[in-house]
Amino acid sequence: MKANYVIIGAGISGCSIAYNLAAKGVKDIVVVEKDYLTSGSTGRCGAGIRQQWGTKMNCLLAKASIEFFETAQVTLEYDGDIEFKQEGYLIVAVDEEEDEQFAKNVELQKCLGIPAKKITKREAREIVPHLNTDAIVSATFCSTDGHLNPFKMNDAYYKAAKRLGVKFFFNEAVKDIIVKNKKIEKVITTNLEIETNNVVNAAGGYAKEIGTMAGVDIPVYAEKHEILVTEPIEKIQGPMVMSFGKNLYCQQVPHGSFVMGRTDPDVDHNHDIESSWKFLDEMAKTLCEMLPLVGNLRVIRQWAGSYTMSPDRQPIIGDIEDLEGFYLACGFSGHGFMFAPMTGLLLSEIILNEKPTIDISDLHVSRFKHQKEFVLEKSVV
Amino acid sequence: MISKDLVIIGGGPAGLCAARMAAEAGQSAILIDRNAKLGGQLIKQTHMFFGSEKQYAKTRGIDIAKKLLDDVGSYPELIEVWEDATVVGLYPDKVITVLKQEKYLKIQAKAIIVATGASEKVLAFENNDLPGIYGAGAVQTLMNVYGVKPGNKIIMVGSGNIGLIVSYQLMQAGVEVVSLVEASPNIGGYKVHAAKLRRYGVEINTSCTIKKAIGKEAVEKVVTIKLDENWNEIPGTEKTYEVDAICIAVGLTPLTSLLSMIGCEMKYISELGGLVPVTNKYHETSIDNIYVCGDSSGIEEASSAIVEGYLTGLIASSKLGKKHPKFAELVDDFQSQLENLRNGPFGAKIRQGLKKLGGSVDA
Ligand SMILES: Cc1cc2nc3c(=O)[nH]c(=O)nc-3n(C[C@H](O)[C@H](O)[C@H](O)COP(=O)(O)OP(=O)(O)OC[C@H]3O[C@@H](n4cnc5c(N)ncnc54)[C@H](O)[C@@H]3O)c2cc1C
Ligand SMILES: Cc1cc2nc3c(=O)[nH]c(=O)nc-3n(C[C@H](O)[C@H](O)[C@H](O)COP(=O)(O)OP(=O)(O)OC[C@H]3O[C@@H](n4cnc5c(N)ncnc54)[C@H](O)[C@@H]3O)c2cc1C
Repeated sequence: MKANYVIIGAGISGCSIAYNLAAKGVKDIVVVEKDYLTSGSTGRCGAGIRQQWGTKMNCLLAKASIEFFETAQVTLEYDGDIEFKQEGYLIVAVDEEEDEQFAKNVELQKCLGIPAKKITKREAREIVPHLNTDAIVSATFCSTDGHLNPFKMNDAYYKAAKRLGVKFFFNEAVKDIIVKNKKIEKVITTNLEIETNNVVNAAGGYAKEIGTMAGVDIPVYAEKHEILVTEPIEKIQGPMVMSFGKNLYCQQVPHGSFVMGRTDPDVDHNHDIESSWKFLDEMAKTLCEMLPLVGNLRVIRQWAGSYTMSPDRQPIIGDIEDLEGFYLACGFSGHGFMFAPMTGLLLSEIILNEKPTIDISDLHVSRFKHQKEFVLEKSVV
Repeated sequence: MISKDLVIIGGGPAGLCAARMAAEAGQSAILIDRNAKLGGQLIKQTHMFFGSEKQYAKTRGIDIAKKLLDDVGSYPELIEVWEDATVVGLYPDKVITVLKQEKYLKIQAKAIIVATGASEKVLAFENNDLPGIYGAGAVQTLMNVYGVKPGNKIIMVGSGNIGLIVSYQLMQAGVEVVSLVEASPNIGGYKVHAAKLRRYGVEINTSCTIKKAIGKEAVEKVVTIKLDENWNEIPGTEKTYEVDAICIAVGLTPLTSLLSMIGCEMKYISELGGLVPVTNKYHETSIDNIYVCGDSSGIEEASSAIVEGYLTGLIASSKLGKKHPKFAELVDDFQSQLENLRNGPFGAKIRQGLKKLGGSVDA
């Protein structure tokens, strides 16, 4: 079999890239996925969408992505409902240091046209009445942030890409990438041999392994992040509530359940995605302090997925110097879902040598060659 | 965090018997059941059991439960019983999380025997979520444990032994059984049970199924339809009955979610009722020191659950260092009892299922 482009991974990144390339008229695109659609981090994520970031790059990517999500159902001619809910993110500051940092963040966000604002405890309580304001100093709020259904969103990209002629192969794991004279020749999967000169690595937690197959080193690793869902109740919470200091995010999704997660600071770097009892214990404690009322609900299910971490916690999007025709969309460090529309658009522009809509030369993998120390994005859970 | 070498989840015949053998071997254990009363399915079974003498045939289920409970009760210093305690999680580090009377507790175990039994299968038809639609097990629990009539006019779906026995029990409780429908052309259960129902005037409709339930707040009517030899509905054969309850007895499926959660290798085997864990002939799953016995390892009968429980209790204790004085003799005895139980025409399905599962299990 022959293909113009082989995209590895049918998560939100791979599907968005496939759609964007096809929409620009590229033919013979093949997506290979080792399991099923949305089986990776995309189907396991919190699916929160926010523009309240601490770096300009993240702010820009998120803002442009939200603009896409707002009309995605129409643009992608999706017959389902992607369940996009824009009721904001309430990010609480739990100490003076965060309070100061958030003031700076909001200034930056405002400059970039993001409608975020710094608010008092009292104002925060008006937005989320069951918030324990004793646990916070202040908050920031952006009303156009929100949440959408990751399965539906990825299905929308998948179906649109398929209509444009993209071929998808499921249960096909990439086993090897044959490179000769610094050129890609072939991708070998469980059952297929695909002749191609262009490969897009959108393999999420396995991006490093895919790099190794092609003989290039990508400085990312996978780490487990856990999450849970409660029984559904009538709507009591509009926005996502998030705290970096207390290490928590929690939102009520449209059907009434609460979805929440936190980060285990001692987590190992590997592909483990088993659930743990420790997470339940710690999640419950954190939550009951911040949103005591939600603590009364029963947990229905817990699960886990991988964050693919890069050294500076920023995505890696672009080509790579050492191997022609090899493109990267990985290292999203826990926020690749909300950036997916831009990931797809920008990488397709780079691949086709068009001028990128947003200058993302700072997201090129070469940044790690020259620089060893990084300013980390602090606004993460 | 509580520490305990052996934890047995489920206090039906399998779990009770596993606990008894562990105790005989000198192994202490916690036995956990989500019901307020131990005994599993047995405590709602007022009929005389079929099966072989050795496993209490011709005794009422409820009396077998008493006997097994007494056996366990004679080791109070070894077997700690937790009632009204639901195991809600089983984690790879062998930590068990339990909701015990509204308290959330954790136990670190070394070995775990899962004997959680089965859950009832459901049927897909229009309005199958209306109040008044029950599984046969639920009907039995209502009537025989709590003394509550599930309705006044009922239709039964399924002609296996459970469907037949429960129909009879409903009639004894003064409930009118308007019809018993069965999708296959033949009656599934023992002929004696079916004959008894016919004698009492219950019509048995084979090659027939439920098309839909009708009702606003609860079931008011049910529509049945005939099936052809390819199980397709035959239009024009619909029949409507006025009922206030529908009882569904279309089989059981092993309750194995805890085993899936901890990561045991599972296989779908229809002869055993659905998804079951892969085990060796000592009832150990693909994970060291995680065992399964009774209906949760494949749907059979109380008789085999009892013997499997004994066998598993022996083996788990022995691996923990407490070997029963008559270990070898008993293992042989239990294995040959199981073989006998599965001999003959009624065991054919089980034999085939176990063969698919991996060959030598108990056979
Ligand atoms: C608990 C949790 C919460 C999160 N919350 C958020 C959030 O609120 N907002 C947000 O924006 N992001 C969130 N994220 C991050 C987000 O899920 C990811 O950044 C995003 O889904 C990445 O998408 P992807 O398509 O790059 O990767 P994936 O969805 O992981 O897709 C990669 C695909 O590649 C396939 N693959 C791997 N190896 C091979 C191979 N050899 N051959 C073929 N296919 C292969 C995988 O099976 C997988 O389907 C969260 C993540 C987790 C785990
Ligand atoms: C109507 C009917 C008639 C039958 N007649 C006969 C007969 O005549 N002869 C015969 O041999 N067999 C008969 N059987 C079959 C027999 O009852 C079962 O095969 C047997 O009870 C299985 O035993 P078990 O211990 O595996 O499971 P069960 O008896 O189902 O016990 C499982 C126990 O585990 C508990 N449990 C489950 N999950 C959890 C959890 N997460 N935490 C805590 N506890 C949990 C349950 O509450 C239950 O008490 C009949 C069954 C029915 C329904």
